[in-house]
Amino acid sequence: MPTRDSLQLTGGMLQMGARVLLVPGFIIAIAIMLKGYADIGDGFSAGVIAALVVIVQGLAFGAEELERIAVARLAPLLGFIGLGLAYALAFVPVLFGYPILTHFPRMNEHAEHFGPLEFITPVLFDVAVFLVVYGFCVGAMMAVSRAEVRHQRLIRRARQRAGSRGGDAV
Amino acid sequence: MTLVFSLAIAALFAVGAFLMLRRDLIRLIAGMIMIGNAANLFIMASALRRGRAAVLPGNGDEMADPLVQALVLTAIVISFATAAMALVIVYRVYTSHYSMDLTELSAAEEEQSERDEPESGDLVEQDIEEDIEEMPDDAKVGVLA
Amino acid sequence: MIALPLGILMFGALGSALLDGTRRRNGWLAAVILLAAIIATTWLGWDVYHHGTREMAVGGWDQGVGITLRVDMVGIIFAVLCQVVLLGSLIYEVVSDVGARIFPSLVLFLAVGLTGLTFTGDAFNFYVFFEISMMASYILVNYGETPRQFRAAFVFITVNLLGSVLFLIGIAGIYHTTGFLDMVRIREQMPLVQENPAILTATIIFVAFCVKLGLFPFHFWLPTVYTGTRPAVAAMLSGALANIGTYGLIRFGIDIFPRELEAASMVLIVLGSASIVYGGVQALSRHAPAEVLAYSAIGQVGYIMIALAFAGPAGLAAVILYSVLNSINKAVLFLSISLRGWVATTALAIGAFSVAGIPPVGGFFGKFVMFDLAVQNESLVLVALIFIGSLLSIVYMFQMYRRRIATPELEEDVIDGWGVQAVSLVLALSLVGIGIYPEPMLNLIQVAAESVPKGFTP
Repeated sequence: MPTRDSLQLTGGMLQMGARVLLVPGFIIAIAIMLKGYADIGDGFSAGVIAALVVIVQGLAFGAEELERIAVARLAPLLGFIGLGLAYALAFVPVLFGYPILTHFPRMNEHAEHFGPLEFITPVLFDVAVFLVVYGFCVGAMMAVSRAEVRHQRLIRRARQRAGSRGGDAV
Repeated sequence: MTLVFSLAIAALFAVGAFLMLRRDLIRLIAGMIMIGNAANLFIMASALRRGRAAVLPGNGDEMADPLVQALVLTAIVISFATAAMALVIVYRVYTSHYSMDLTELSAAEEEQSERDEPESGDLVEQDIEEDIEEMPDDAKVGVLA
Repeated sequence: MIALPLGILMFGALGSALLDGTRRRNGWLAAVILLAAIIATTWLGWDVYHHGTREMAVGGWDQGVGITLRVDMVGIIFAVLCQVVLLGSLIYEVVSDVGARIFPSLVLFLAVGLTGLTFTGDAFNFYVFFEISMMASYILVNYGETPRQFRAAFVFITVNLLGSVLFLIGIAGIYHTTGFLDMVRIREQMPLVQENPAILTATIIFVAFCVKLGLFPFHFWLPTVYTGTRPAVAAMLSGALANIGTYGLIRFGIDIFPRELEAASMVLIVLGSASIVYGGVQALSRHAPAEVLAYSAIGQVGYIMIALAFAGPAGLAAVILYSVLNSINKAVLFLSISLRGWVATTALAIGAFSVAGIPPVGGFFGKFVMFDLAVQNESLVLVALIFIGSLLSIVYMFQMYRRRIATPELEEDVIDGWGVQAVSLVLALSLVGIGIYPEPMLNLIQVAAESVPKGFTP
């Protein structure tokens, strides 16, 4: 089995590509989410795109880089916020006597809009979906990479302790 | 069209079933994903109408059945979350056994039960769990969308 | 009002995911949330009992456009049953120290899935809630984190994923043949569907639910998983999660596919009988208590299947009664099996009596109803079979109990904390309660059975 060190993906090309893609990737993701009401697109695909952009950073620069990027570090929290927002949108209408998940303004009512962006609660719901998907993808990825880093450290320590004898302990 | 759909579904299902019978855990998961996708394709095939995309249909155009697309999106989210979770579990199995082969794993399990040594506990991190638990919600929100 | 139990559980699950579940205080908080949900569900049940089925179309859409939440008596009974079993297992685990941060939250998510599933009137929504609960249980099976549990988890995930995929395919089939996902409309449309597609779809869905239930030819995953996991998780799986199978068979079998169910009644009887005999004989030959219980679970499912085969009003009532009793039995047994001390032993004895169907305990009524059903249908073979099944269960339960009693000193003679034992005893006492004063329960189940529209009477 090849050792982990030989599987380094941190090539110069990849690093440059990853950096260049970071901001445009997010912009595209947000655009896809917001234009979903007049065109094709939604929070789920936007969340996946944003998560992919961030995960590529991790692949290119190593797991430590992810810890430096704030949007990546906070991903699980964002996921929880998104979930809370979605639940709130589902259940707050119930408190006012509407059925669960009722969106406002209601159908055929006038909605304020700014360009293609309409100010309606379904947009908020899509933001919630975006956050959940993003938080889940990045969060799960980071948890695994953290676990892997810790795991490698444990192995290295075990090897040091075992000296030359433990070189192939695995 | 129906023939193409059924051939594709059959092929995916066959490949998936074949992979699921392997002893390698990664292949097993690949098989699960394949079978999941066969089901997704089946949902698409069960559409009542075919035609242009349901967003902004042109005048007089035949519109595709939008409901199956909503269903399939949900099903994709769910199978995505399940696959991610299964992979995390495989990862944990790997860190505690250094093997992804089911035969070796059951041998290790027998050894384990003989020695009854809780050695794997410390390598298993809490963080993974923290994140896995988001999955059900993920699937859930996907559906409400 | 329909949304209340779901809302409590969803926000509760989310909130307790943020807290450290290994702290006892947070564990109790989750238990309180679950209790609140039980109270809310019961309140809703009171309403449904007096005013009939409640409906709510999600998002304020018209009926038939939006997803419908629909609650009837059957749904309420199963929802409360699952929640009670989950609450028992959760308290059990909290009292004996939770080992993982997210355990309480996962239990609540499992409750969300199970409650939602019983509240929904939409076939695809059913699948979604079903997957939420499956997903939570996939992770719960890992709880404990020994190699055995990993393997059990893998078996569980693989088999149940296949089951879920089958179910999904079945739903796609229903949608394509009827053009609806709302259960009421599907029911109206189903008689117009041609015979072959309907039978195919019904078979796929039947297999999917039988995998969850662990009926005889689909049982192979069950012993590995039930013996591999922690007692509390095994109690949840067999006491709460397996109800998906029964509830699904009632909803989809009796409600949507009555014609196909009638055609398949012989198959159900054969499979059910095979399950009873196989489970009983295997349980007799096993030594590890958890294994005996796992095989016993396979056997008990057989009765449900046979009752389903006679799914007239009497049959449906028998199905519900039997699965309620069976769930509580299994929860009591799995929780008390690994405990030491006289309180837990009493609970174990009560549970064992209940499975065997000995009069003062609730399980007697389950067996009695089954006998009654068999006699009503004048089926001598069935009477004999149920008799044999009961005999087998008495013998293996006795054997297990004797083995437990005979070797308490061989293990360390530590008596487990009172709290844990008390939980198992309280659940067990509820069985005695049902046995002594069964009228309210039987009445409820009667009402529930009558609320399901009868597609046919055999």
